[in-house]
Amino acid sequence: MHKSAQGLTACHECDLLIDQVPTTPGQDAICPRCRARLYYTTINDTERSMALAIAGLILFIPANMFPILTLKVLGKSQSEVILNTALSLFDGGLFVVAILVLLFAIVVPLMQLILLLYISSSLHFKWGGRLLRYAMHGYQHLHGWGMLEIYLLGTLVSIIKLKDIANLEIGLGLYSLAALIIVFTLSSIMFNHHQIWHQIDVHRSDRAGSKP
Amino acid sequence: MTDQPAFQSARNAGYLLCIECNKLHDIQHEGYHCDRCGAALHSRRPRAITQSWACLIASVLLLLPANMLPIMTFKSFGKGDPSTIISGIIDLMEHDMLFIALIVLIASIVVPALKIIGLTILLLTVQFGWSTNLRQKTIMFRLVEWIGRWSMLDIFVIGILVALVQLGSIASIEGNQGATAFAAVVLLTMFSAISFDTRLIWDNDFYRHEHRHEDRQ
Repeated sequence: MHKSAQGLTACHECDLLIDQVPTTPGQDAICPRCRARLYYTTINDTERSMALAIAGLILFIPANMFPILTLKVLGKSQSEVILNTALSLFDGGLFVVAILVLLFAIVVPLMQLILLLYISSSLHFKWGGRLLRYAMHGYQHLHGWGMLEIYLLGTLVSIIKLKDIANLEIGLGLYSLAALIIVFTLSSIMFNHHQIWHQIDVHRSDRAGSKP
Repeated sequence: MTDQPAFQSARNAGYLLCIECNKLHDIQHEGYHCDRCGAALHSRRPRAITQSWACLIASVLLLLPANMLPIMTFKSFGKGDPSTIISGIIDLMEHDMLFIALIVLIASIVVPALKIIGLTILLLTVQFGWSTNLRQKTIMFRLVEWIGRWSMLDIFVIGILVALVQLGSIASIEGNQGATAFAAVVLLTMFSAISFDTRLIWDNDFYRHEHRHEDRQ
């Protein structure tokens, strides 16, 4: 018989069996065969994630309320917020594309921020967190489906395409969007899912132990 | 212990890793649920290769309408000017916007093409048990997975232009069904990459090690 799984781990990319060594902050455990990053330690990760989630939720409002771009031709002007992109595609009959834009540029980023706030605050304040597992699964599966940075690049391409034809004004929405993207990038760097699962485990057993 | 190959997979050693929360379990838990995160436990993603192939083949078929049908139409004073992905890029180049033409070319033509080629190589690797350049192939997978979403660029550009250029009879832009086909291509290649399991390509490495081991005896 083999020894128990204690002290061992496996690479999630190549399934190599590895002895689990502790890491200090700043150190990464790397798979010796495929060079995948296995796990690492971060300090104050729930606190930082919570701060970023709150900042993101605040920035989400101006990014969606204020116009990204305004087009002015012959005294007429047309403004655009993110939601318009999906709505005008829908009006034009491209239903599938409209739904995808709605999901990738609005719904998924909002869901990510709400889930991140829920996960980090319930771990930080040791709240109930009955849905922590589901929230973590949801958050992990949404990774890569929020596409605000691609939307921003799309805006830049549109500006260059239209700049010879019409006058364009950059709105407050575009600056908020850029700030929101920075928050998203930081939160995905900060988010240490390996460590969070461990904290959820500890959190669950604490609560099970405290019950009378 | 010295008789064992240099690298041993968790599966060969009698373990399996929960792919959701990275907890190591005994291999006998295959098909059960992880006690930490509740996900179903599998040593390798079930039906990974079938699902990945299915999405990939569907996306290759949809490349045809995506590139042949117009993605949007520029209308001015009653005259319509439909453009496909490629004619849009040529148009940008003719207007001396080479840099932006290059970005759109990379996002809408080069990335989907490289993704499809890359995934085909990876799937063939698993299917035929090729054991060369496994580390390069893993890096290629990470690249394919990361870069795939950037193909949505053209879709967002269409959406923004349609929303912005609505000046009645003077000028307006409307989207066409080519965009739907292109969005489906991007979505299907992303699903194909998600369905794939990189641990399958490294299984070939173990076979090689075991055969070497037998040769020596």
